[in-house]
Amino acid sequence: MICLVLTIFANLFPSAYSGVNERTFLAVKPDGVQRRLVGEIVRRFERKGFKLVALKLVQASEELLREHYVELREKPFYSRLVKYMSSGPVVAMVWQGLDVVHASRALIGATDPGDAMPGTIRGDFCMEVGKNVIHGSDSVESAHREIALWFREAELLCWEDSAGHWLYE
Amino acid sequence: PWPQERTLVAVKPDGVQRRLVGTVIQRFERRGFKLVGMKMLQAPESILAEHYRDLQRKPFYPALISYMSSGPVVAMVWEGPNVVHISRAMIGHTDSTEAAPGTIRGDFSVHISRNVIHASDSVDGAQREIELWFQSSELLNWADGGHHSSCYPA
Repeated sequence: MICLVLTIFANLFPSAYSGVNERTFLAVKPDGVQRRLVGEIVRRFERKGFKLVALKLVQASEELLREHYVELREKPFYSRLVKYMSSGPVVAMVWQGLDVVHASRALIGATDPGDAMPGTIRGDFCMEVGKNVIHGSDSVESAHREIALWFREAELLCWEDSAGHWLYE
Repeated sequence: PWPQERTLVAVKPDGVQRRLVGTVIQRFERRGFKLVGMKMLQAPESILAEHYRDLQRKPFYPALISYMSSGPVVAMVWEGPNVVHISRAMIGHTDSTEAAPGTIRGDFSVHISRNVIHASDSVDGAQREIELWFQSSELLNWADGGHHSSCYPA
């Protein structure tokens, strides 16, 4: 019941999705699933201390992906990207925690794996920009948009994190 | 080709709270099994009652249902040769004190009531449980790029 009230509150006041309640959208791409890197990736976000609030394996439609990547529609690689992302399984996730959008980008590393630092997901596991394993929202606004696109409200879970006391002051 | 089986595996609320989801997924991926369904949900009592119907008369049944519905669960369907039997070996004995090191329960659980993970105990049970937890549209059929046409030793 408290979770329900908090959820309603968070939806009425979007600024409630800030601080430790900030959320981001992440997707393990078809290359990441094929190479069996899902567990490794989930583990990295868990180990950092972020809270998993939604997770599912999907084959995304081209329609959804065209909307997801709408900001890149003028780019020459847009069609190829949409086709690739719809070609196989994707693990879609929503993670919550302090500054999670920015921190996730740090955990993921630079878009081009050649520039991505060791210790980051792309730095450790990727060779080429066309197969860079994972997508992460690039801003808080994009995160809101992407979460709403990929997940129904009922799929976003509200649960009390027993580790919260040891992650935040 | 070797016949492909499917099994249901679920990370229980204690496993999610303790952030063991990635570790569990990784163990099945590293073994070589193929993930064909996955979702996180707060399991309703209706699903749990049906899932655990064989344990209905056990003294621990009410506590089990209460615990399993207390927090989020990550339900998965894994596919591969002999996956039902092999999954049971991978998760270890139900009572964690009896579970061998190297198994999921042996490595990550100390008490039977908080034993991190469930896996179907038979091929028939697996089919029943998968139908209970997943709609058919939630199960993907994808070509495993790493799969070889021969499953026999070289």
